[in-house]
Amino acid sequence: MCGIAGVLFKRQGEHEIGKTLIEMLDGCQHRGPDSTGFALYGDTKELLQLRFIVPMQDPARQEAIDNIAALLKRHNATIEKEESVGCSYHIEVRFAGDLLAFTRDIEEHAKLVSVGHTLDIIKDDGTAHELDELYHVGDFKGTHGIGHVRLATESAVRPEAAHPFWATGFEDIAIVHNGQITNYWKMRRRLERRGYSFHTDNDSELVAVYLADKLSQGETLDHVLETAIEDLDGTFSFLVSTKDEIGYAKDNLAAKPMVLYETDDMIAIASEEVSLNRLFPGQSINSTEPAPGTHQTWSRSI
Amino acid sequence: MVQIDLSKVAITEANERIRASAADGQDVEILNPDARHNIGVGLVVDNPVTIRIKGSAGYFCGGLTDGARFEIDHNAGWAVGDNIYKGSVVVGGNAGAIPGVAIRGAEIVVRGNMGSRAGQVMKAGTLACGGNAAFMAGYMMYGGRIIILGDAADKVGQDMSAGEIFVGGKIASLGNDTMIVDMDERERDEIMEFLERYQLKHDGGFTKVVNAGTKLRYAKAEPRHRPQPFFVSSKSSNYWNAKVQEDIWIKGEVGRYRIRGYGASKPVPHLNDIAFVKDISTVAPDPEELKDINLKTTIGGRFGAKPLSLSMPVMIAPMSFGALSRKVKIALARASRLSGISENTGEGGMLDEQRAEADQLIFQCLSGRLGWNVKDMQRADAIEIYISQGAKPGLGGQLMAKKVTPELAAIRGIPVGIDLRSPSRHPDVLGADDLVIKLQEFREATFHKVPIGIKMGAGRVNDDIKIAYKDGFDFVELDGLQGSTGAASTEVLENVGIPTLAAVQEAIDGLAEIDAKDDMDLVMMGGLKDGVDIVKMLALGADCTSVGTAAIIAGGCIACMQCHVGTCPVGIATQDPEHEARYDLDRQAMNMHRYFESLRWQIAAITKALGYDDVHKVGRGDLVALTPEAADITGLPYRPEHRHTERPLTGLELLDRKAG
Repeated sequence: MCGIAGVLFKRQGEHEIGKTLIEMLDGCQHRGPDSTGFALYGDTKELLQLRFIVPMQDPARQEAIDNIAALLKRHNATIEKEESVGCSYHIEVRFAGDLLAFTRDIEEHAKLVSVGHTLDIIKDDGTAHELDELYHVGDFKGTHGIGHVRLATESAVRPEAAHPFWATGFEDIAIVHNGQITNYWKMRRRLERRGYSFHTDNDSELVAVYLADKLSQGETLDHVLETAIEDLDGTFSFLVSTKDEIGYAKDNLAAKPMVLYETDDMIAIASEEVSLNRLFPGQSINSTEPAPGTHQTWSRSI
Repeated sequence: MVQIDLSKVAITEANERIRASAADGQDVEILNPDARHNIGVGLVVDNPVTIRIKGSAGYFCGGLTDGARFEIDHNAGWAVGDNIYKGSVVVGGNAGAIPGVAIRGAEIVVRGNMGSRAGQVMKAGTLACGGNAAFMAGYMMYGGRIIILGDAADKVGQDMSAGEIFVGGKIASLGNDTMIVDMDERERDEIMEFLERYQLKHDGGFTKVVNAGTKLRYAKAEPRHRPQPFFVSSKSSNYWNAKVQEDIWIKGEVGRYRIRGYGASKPVPHLNDIAFVKDISTVAPDPEELKDINLKTTIGGRFGAKPLSLSMPVMIAPMSFGALSRKVKIALARASRLSGISENTGEGGMLDEQRAEADQLIFQCLSGRLGWNVKDMQRADAIEIYISQGAKPGLGGQLMAKKVTPELAAIRGIPVGIDLRSPSRHPDVLGADDLVIKLQEFREATFHKVPIGIKMGAGRVNDDIKIAYKDGFDFVELDGLQGSTGAASTEVLENVGIPTLAAVQEAIDGLAEIDAKDDMDLVMMGGLKDGVDIVKMLALGADCTSVGTAAIIAGGCIACMQCHVGTCPVGIATQDPEHEARYDLDRQAMNMHRYFESLRWQIAAITKALGYDDVHKVGRGDLVALTPEAADITGLPYRPEHRHTERPLTGLELLDRKAG
C-alpha cells in the first residue's frame, strides 16, 4: 500500500530529477510512512553501475562487501569505484560478459537492487527527506525517474522490500507499484519455471520480473504494458521506467488512484494531485485521470 | 469574506477558521489549496455560506458537511462531497473517483469529467457532470439521480437498487440488473431547470437508466421453522446432527445458501481450553472485599482525543437498529449507562433515544454508509470504521426484506422492502493508503476530539493489526470466528475467519513484531460469555472486551437463530410492531444491567484471587493451556492437570479442602 510518482523531462539536459521526486513523494508521504525509494536516470556512464543492500553494522557489513568483491572476481568484473552509504553499497564496474548470467549468479548470493549504465535505485526505511539527508538524492540531475513511498502491509519493513524494483536481469529498468496482484503465486510459479528467482514475497517484485521477461523476448514497452493488464489480476497502478522512457499501466477496476499532467516539456504522474501540485504551487493544473485498463509510454528526445 | 491561505495554515486549523467564519455568516475563500485533502470537512451550518476554493482540492472536499456551498475553481480529488445531506459542491474542472459518494440530498456539479464509481451508495440528491463519466457511474446507488451530459463508460448503474441515471451522450455498457426506460416530460423539465441553475448547457436528449428489479430480493425468502436453539445445535460431539439436518432441509427448500442468525456453532479452541494457573475457587464471594480492585478502563487516548472511560473492561458490541428492534437498542443503551460501559450503534444509524440513554456511545461507519452522517458523528463519543466482523469477514451486512420497513429504510436511505446486502468494501477505502486519508477526514469532521477505532473480523490479523497501528487508529475492535450476527450464510458463519483465541494471539504478536508502543488499545470480542472469559482475554493481552450475544441473551433472547426472519418471537430481532410490542424494555434493560454487574463481580473476584489489585495487571503468566491445540495457538505452557480448576469441586474435595 503506497504512493507512487514519476517524472520525465522530454528534452535532454541536467534537470532536477532528485529534487522533483523528493517534492512529489513528500506530498504523498501520508500514503506510506515506512520506506521511500527512487529510481533515477542520469547520463549514460561508461561503467556498469551496481547498488547492493548491505547490513548496517560491521562485521556483517564488511563481510557482505567482501562477498560482493569475491563474486565479481568470479565473473572477471573489476571494481573501479565504490561508495558505502546508509544501507547500501554502490560500485562502478568494468564488465564485458553476459549480463543476465552475471546478475543471476550475483542475485543468488547478494542483495542486488540496481543495475544499469544510467539507472541508480536508492531505497531505504524512512521518508523522502530522510533519504535525501543520507543519500543526497536532491543533488541528482538527469532526465527522468520514478519514486515510491511504502506502507508495508504483507511483507516486512526492510530496505530490500522497498520500491522501486529493478527488473531482474535487465539493466536500466525499474518499476514502482501501488496495489495488490492477486494472482501473485500463479504468476510467480509460471516465471519460476522460466528460470527466474524471487528475493522477496512482494508482489511488486513480480511486476518487475514479469516485465523483464517480456522485454527479453524483444517486445516493446508499450506492448508489454498492454499484456500486463491482461495477465496480472488485482488492483494496481504501476509505473515503469527504462533508459529513455517511462510508462504506466492501470488495472481494469481503477481501484488505485493515479493522475497525470503533461506539458510540452515534461510528463508527471502521481497517485494524488497533491504531489503534482507540489511542482506548481499556487497554480491549478489541468491534470487527467487515466481510464481503467489503460497504459501509455513517453520517451525523452534522444 | 475571510481568506485562508493553505500554503501557510495547516488543514486542521484552516477548517477551524472556516467553522468560525461560517458561524458568523461569513463566506470563505481558500487560497493556494494545491490539491490538499479534507478542505471544509465537518462544517455544519444552518445559514448557507459559500466556501470558494481558488484552485484544486484534494480528497473529500466538502465531505461530511451540512448546509454549506462549496465552489472549487479547478479539480477535485476522490470522493468530493462525501455524504452531504444538504448543501452543494460545484467543481469547475474534473473530479476524481467516487464524486458524490453516499450523498443524502446534496447537489454535486462537476463541470468537467468525473472519475469512476460516481455516486456510489448515494441515497438522495443530484450528481451532475458536464463532461464524461468513467466506469461504473451509479455503482450500488440506493436513490437520487445522476445526470451525465457527456458519455458514460462501462457498467452504468452496476448493482444499483434505486434512483435514476440520465446520460446525454453514449453509454458504453449497462451494469447488471439495470434497464433503459423512457423518461417523462416532468423529469426532463426538472433536469433542465437544474442544469440552468448551474449554467450547464444541454439539448435535453437523455437515456434513462434504472434498476431492473431482478436481484433486489432472493427468489425465496428464508422459511420459518421449528426453533432449533443454538445451544442444542452447537453440541460438539456429532458430525451428523440436528443442525446439519436442518441446514440440508432449508437448502432443499430455497435452493441456495442458507441464511441464519448467530455465530459459528462448530467447536473450535476457545477460552475454556485455557485456565488460570492459580486455583481461583479460593476467592471469597464477599463484595466488600472486592471494592478496592481497580477495573476502570480507558480506551482511545492514543492521540489525545477524549478517551472512553469505562467502569470495567467491557463494551457492548456493535449491533444495528435494523437487526435489532428500537426497544432493544434503547434497553442496551440504558443498561450501558447503568453499568458505566459503552453502547455501539452498529450499522443502522443513531437513534435519538439511544443517544439520550447512553452515556458513552460509539458510532459505527460501514461500507454502505447507511444512516451515516456528520451530525451524529459530532454527537458520538467515539467513531469506529467497520472493515469486517467475525461472523462474516469480507462480506457486508445483510438485512432481509421483512425488516426493511418504511421507518428503517428512511433512516438508512434505501428503498423499502429490499433484501439489503451491504457492500463488502468501502467506496473510498481500497487499501491501507486510502484508509489513512479517510481516518484524517473523520478526525477533521470530529475536530480531533473523539477516539477513532477500527472494527475487524479475524482473518489475517497479523498483517491487519499492523496496518491499523500504522494508519493511526486509537483502538481496534477485533472480532473472532465465534462472533454472531443477525444474518449471514451458514458457510461463512462456520468456516470463514480464525477463532477468537488465535486472533488475540496474532494481534499481540503482530504488534510486537513492529515494536508498536503499547498505545493502541485492543478490544477483543467473539464468543465471550462471562467474567472468566474476560479476565483470560485481558491476561492474553487485550485491553478491553466487548459482549454482544451474551448481552442479548441476558435481555431476553431465546437463541432460536432466526434473527434474519424478522418475526422474532420475543421482540428482539424484529421491526414488526406486533412482535416488538412483546418486548418489555424496562425489565430487560435491568436484566442486562444485572448481567453486566455479574461480570463486574466475576472480573474483580478473579483479579483478587490471582493476587492483584488491578485487572490490568493480569498477564500471560497467570494462564496455562489445557489442550495441545490451545497451547500451540497461544504459546502458553500445556498443563492438562489444571483442568480440575475448571469444574466445580465435588463434595469430597470440598471436605478435603476444609480439613486442609
